[in-house]
Amino acid sequence: MEYVLECRDVCHWFGTKRVLNQVNLRVTPGQVVAVVGPSGCGKSTLLRAILGTHPPKQGQVLANGHPVTRPGRDVGIVYQDYRLFDFLTCRDNVAFGLMLDETTLPQRIFSFLWRERRDQHRQAAQALLEKVNLADAADLYPSEMSGGMRQRVAIAQALIMEPKILLLDEPFGALDEATREELQVMLLHLYGENLAAKNNSQIPPYTILIVTHELNEALYVSDRVLGLSQYHQDGEHGATIVYDKPAPVFRPGDQRNFEQFEAQKEELRHAVFDPTTIQHHLEYVTFWNDHEKQPE
Amino acid sequence: MLVRQPISPELKTKLGIASIAILVGLYTVLSLSRQADKRADAQQRLNDMQVELANTEEVVNNGQTNLQDRLTRQRRQIESLKNQVANAVDRSVPTWRSLFVDGFLRVIRAQGLKRNEYWLAEDALATTGRLMFGLSVSVLASVILGVLMGSYTPIEAFFVPPLSFLAKIPPTAMLAVFFVLVGTDMKMYVTMIIFGTLPTLAQTVYQSARTDVPESLIYKAYTLGASHTELIWNVTFKQILPRLIDAVRLQIGPAMVLLVAAEWMVAGEGFGYRLRLFYQRTDMSVVYVYLLLLGVGGLLADYALISFRRWLCPWFQA
Repeated sequence: MEYVLECRDVCHWFGTKRVLNQVNLRVTPGQVVAVVGPSGCGKSTLLRAILGTHPPKQGQVLANGHPVTRPGRDVGIVYQDYRLFDFLTCRDNVAFGLMLDETTLPQRIFSFLWRERRDQHRQAAQALLEKVNLADAADLYPSEMSGGMRQRVAIAQALIMEPKILLLDEPFGALDEATREELQVMLLHLYGENLAAKNNSQIPPYTILIVTHELNEALYVSDRVLGLSQYHQDGEHGATIVYDKPAPVFRPGDQRNFEQFEAQKEELRHAVFDPTTIQHHLEYVTFWNDHEKQPE
Repeated sequence: MLVRQPISPELKTKLGIASIAILVGLYTVLSLSRQADKRADAQQRLNDMQVELANTEEVVNNGQTNLQDRLTRQRRQIESLKNQVANAVDRSVPTWRSLFVDGFLRVIRAQGLKRNEYWLAEDALATTGRLMFGLSVSVLASVILGVLMGSYTPIEAFFVPPLSFLAKIPPTAMLAVFFVLVGTDMKMYVTMIIFGTLPTLAQTVYQSARTDVPESLIYKAYTLGASHTELIWNVTFKQILPRLIDAVRLQIGPAMVLLVAAEWMVAGEGFGYRLRLFYQRTDMSVVYVYLLLLGVGGLLADYALISFRRWLCPWFQA
């Protein structure tokens, strides 16, 4: 089995404060993985390690088989506060990655073919904008858009690069309820494309790791839930993955029936969020038969 | 009235007109009172002289005839003083009419000390040329320096101390140094403007490059495949451009201060030179017209830069 993302014994600390303690994780193409955990447990640190901006002090992160040492093409990122390029229109924001990736600065200055290339990029961006229901807003600047629209641009901007893995850092945290639901359904559509590709025995296109503090959201959009927590036997040395189980799969049209989550939510609360649960973390990890986690 | 409570556009216009009207009125009152003072002064001297003349006449009438010379002289002086009273003109705060005739018309007809001397054109050309050249060099250097400082921490650590120190020395206080080092030609004005504006401009650019381009935006650009050069040119520079234009707008004022000061001291043409020339003759009508032109020029430059920013950065909400 090939992995798009592998964390091997990832440890991280700031001074004397140990944050991540031997995080081991393998993600296969097409998975949508939700990461939940108590606030301040190190979810963002793990995300930054995978992104490559803050490589782990110990251990290794492999994206698409290559060690991640700096942010690059393999890993895409969507931030909670959108972080669009203010000076570009919606369409150019989405096409920005293609431009940066496929042409260099001298080429853009000296090449007569640049214009043609640019039109292709813009067409690709327009096609992707249609997919996220933003075709009409293509010429607006980020400051003229609502939060939900901006976040959809940010997702399209990341997706156009076809990253091996897409990181979503609390992507819908700043949005209102209705917009959040809309964007969650959009993620389900992407997952649907994954399933379709799998049925045609192709490699599924979207692998997503989403950090969220909403348990319902985590179970709804993902097919696998990870719990990162410092509440385990070796907790003083930092957080590790204490929970790793499949989540129910929804299709875009399905009813948002969250009652079926209750049992799993209860289990998550107990294993991940309850400070009094001091058990061995491997007890809750069932998703991987081949995991190589060894108790210390 | 609430703080920041909006007012109607009509009221806004009326208040603007009122402020200008008050300014004009104050000038009128000041100038009229100056003229009256001058006239009263001359009148006073005339009265004094007439008293003196009366005394002399009395002495002469009493039979002393050797004062005939003095009598003639005093009569002549009275004639002259009468003339002065009639034509009493104060040149320090001239009337509107004299401002227009002696100042404005003289300036636009370009007739100065000698005929066919085109000082307005000459001065405007010299001063704007110096200003543009100095500011362009300063802006170019500060953009390169500021962006690099905002992007690379070693460069930042290297340049922050000297820049903050240089920014604290008033460039006018450095005039003597400039004379000695670069002489009194174009180089001197350019040095002056660079010295005066570069530390502030470079610091503004550097601050903007650090705060307006958050780290997450940089990380994202890298995930989109940007190289380091592309990051600086396509992200940092584009993002700070409107702030840069605004900073240049704000630096036109200080640059003019420095340039006029330098011209005042060493130039043979230019606004500063002309101002000094007519100030020394207390021919203030020309001085006021020049000040007015300087103000209008500054407003135009400001407006041009704002329009430029709106055109270049339509995304920017000031």
